[in-house]
Amino acid sequence: MASRVAITGIGVIAPGAIGIGEFREMLARGEGAVADIDRFDTAGLSAHRAALVRGFNPRTYIAPMKLRRMNVLSRLAVSAAKLALEDAAPIDPSTAGVSLGTAFGPVQTSIDYLSEYFEKGPSLAPPQLFAESVANAPASHMAIEWKLRGFNVTVTQRESSALAAAMYAAAQILKGAASSALIGGVEEVSEMLFSVFDRIGALAHGEGEAARPFDARRNGIVLGEGAAILVASGSPSGRVYGHLSGFGISRDRTASLSDWGSDHGAVIRAMQGAVADAGLQPSEIDAVYASANSSVRGDRLEYRAIQELFETRIPVVAVKGYFGEYAAAGGLQLAAALVALDEQALHASAGFESGEPEMRLDMVRERRPAVLRHILVNSLSAGGGVVSAIVSREAA
Amino acid sequence: MRKPDPSVRIAVTGAGIICAIGRNKAEVWRSIVGGQDGIGKLTRFPGETFPTELAAEVAADVRAIVRGRAAKRLSRTDMLAIIAAGEAIAQAGEVSPVSKERAVVATGTSTGGLLEGESFFSHRLIHGRRRAPASRVLQQPTSGPSDAVARAFDLGGGVVSNATACASAGGAIGMAADYLRAGHADVGVAGGSDALCRLTYSGFNVLQAVDPHPCAPFSEGRQGITLGEGAAYLVLERWDDAVSRGAVILAELCGYGATCDAYHATAPAEDGRGAEAAMRRAMSEASVSGVDYVNAHGTGTLLNDSAETKAIIAALGTATPVSSSKSYFGHTLGAAGAVEAVVSILALQAQLAPPTLRLERPAPDCTLDYIPCTPRPMEIRTVLSNTFGFGGSNVSLLFRAAGQVRHPIR
Repeated sequence: MASRVAITGIGVIAPGAIGIGEFREMLARGEGAVADIDRFDTAGLSAHRAALVRGFNPRTYIAPMKLRRMNVLSRLAVSAAKLALEDAAPIDPSTAGVSLGTAFGPVQTSIDYLSEYFEKGPSLAPPQLFAESVANAPASHMAIEWKLRGFNVTVTQRESSALAAAMYAAAQILKGAASSALIGGVEEVSEMLFSVFDRIGALAHGEGEAARPFDARRNGIVLGEGAAILVASGSPSGRVYGHLSGFGISRDRTASLSDWGSDHGAVIRAMQGAVADAGLQPSEIDAVYASANSSVRGDRLEYRAIQELFETRIPVVAVKGYFGEYAAAGGLQLAAALVALDEQALHASAGFESGEPEMRLDMVRERRPAVLRHILVNSLSAGGGVVSAIVSREAA
Repeated sequence: MRKPDPSVRIAVTGAGIICAIGRNKAEVWRSIVGGQDGIGKLTRFPGETFPTELAAEVAADVRAIVRGRAAKRLSRTDMLAIIAAGEAIAQAGEVSPVSKERAVVATGTSTGGLLEGESFFSHRLIHGRRRAPASRVLQQPTSGPSDAVARAFDLGGGVVSNATACASAGGAIGMAADYLRAGHADVGVAGGSDALCRLTYSGFNVLQAVDPHPCAPFSEGRQGITLGEGAAYLVLERWDDAVSRGAVILAELCGYGATCDAYHATAPAEDGRGAEAAMRRAMSEASVSGVDYVNAHGTGTLLNDSAETKAIIAALGTATPVSSSKSYFGHTLGAAGAVEAVVSILALQAQLAPPTLRLERPAPDCTLDYIPCTPRPMEIRTVLSNTFGFGGSNVSLLFRAAGQVRHPIR
């Protein structure tokens, strides 16, 4: 039975980066991929920018006959999985699981189906779209493509989806229910999602519209999309990016539905849980890859929690300035932390210039080499859910 | 990283259910014993016509039941979840403030608040995006029911949602058990919820997977499923914690198995091997080589019932009695794993196996003892509850009667 969970391969289809090589370069450059939206009309809305995947040709990765049966999410996930499997040492598919996260999943597919439903009537809606309207369609296609016969799960917990999915997979590998797993997340930016977020005032807007995690000028999130698939193995051979070594989960009891609460203690509990799960003390954590997404209240909860738990002015990196919120449902953030371990360097926090007076975090502004043994990765979600993870260079 | 400790036993200390045959456990069990199904004419979408017209709807006014808990902003799926979780939590008894902070909510749902999303979307099609009320759509994500339950009962141990089609709730219950075994939480409020919505009602119709008559699992004339809705939750605790606080233990959750066919987007693998592997894994986790009763997935489709029969024969042989409770309350989709887990626990407690209704003539490819038409008093020490879903996801849960396991079993 496995005693550790190693990450042996990473595949990303990200805004501004296709493949782990381009992803490393994007992070090293310190420039994000937030740009004006050209996919749909944003006239009349307050926000006009997002981090969209560009230059992605699914035919490079998926046979045409299969492609026809896949929605955008499935195409992104299967393509990223192909890249991840090519990046990793071979796995045994018969005992490999799949655990993906997606915050909003197939909203666009449901809309496409319902458009035909309302137009043509209930009996003439297209069955193929119905088959793709389930949130687990991407994970199912991955299983079918590589005959992955272990568990197959799709976690949908907003901003925490990919970390919660990784937490599940790690537990299954450790208890021997699977030998390895494809983990990560997938998300797409749709006109519907964008306009609803805009309507409730959640999006970054105004002059210089951008994701500015932890920055004093932040006024909302920027939506992102893409897929990040990681190969997690209980008996790794070949190269290892790092290990999943601890998880913690909590909920802010002051949070109302779909909104942030005010108790940063809940964030502390999740971080403490992850640190303890890894058998570590807070002083042994070398950096935090923060959840900060440029929301006014969510970011405040997180920096209060980090500075209370880690009194040592721990270096903090915020990566959602590169690819926005919900990008691969949090999977890109996890991938970025593993790249940091692999490169032994912390990334610049794109979009951050200066925080509120109350904030005392040691924000990483320029990419810098660092001795990194353990990095804490946070995910805070609206509605109060928090999942924290520890990724470590060596197995605990 | 702590792994889920297999020596930690999981106690079920609360259970709640709402579906077409009752608003709580007592009503549901009365219907089961009385052979009363909850299948009738679809009323949810007046003015819209479908190729079939039956459903197993929850008749109760769910908004009236949930009233006072900010029901306005909740989706129907959220409200069903709150009702079932409320019953489960009330049965588990007063939990201390400390355990509230250590109580995690895990929910399986296939479509979450899509019913409300559909209203929003049709409004938007007609009136344009600026005039559709955006607040209605906020509860659409499948994370809605977990968030709503955690908020309604002030639980702080975390929230997780599993949207793995019809295998969702079984997976959520398995997740919660592993959280407890690894020490990530002390209490698990785990289950599933799904309200009928247009997408699923019409979708299964266009797939031609719906029986025009009330579903008749395993029978010669079966033509498909009957769509249902509902919710169910369990309260899970580590066995020793439950004993030391003097809780009444309803059953032990002793096995969880999850596999994938890796075969087809909507159809199960015909040989049932993925389902067999899930059942075997649940039995292996429970350290048993057989069970006394199988509460089958038993949807009533030609493919499922045939493949599941093969899987049960391969995993358990031909002697174990099997039945499908879906003949009472239809296919509750993402909630099915939890709804049927509660029925399985009630069967353990009553030592009475629910029957498969309307099974006058079993099909030639369905060769097992399906407990036709009337409940069967029998000794049930262990029950295996199957749920399978789109994408070939298979989940089996194994429950053991609480009574016979006062002393740890090796």
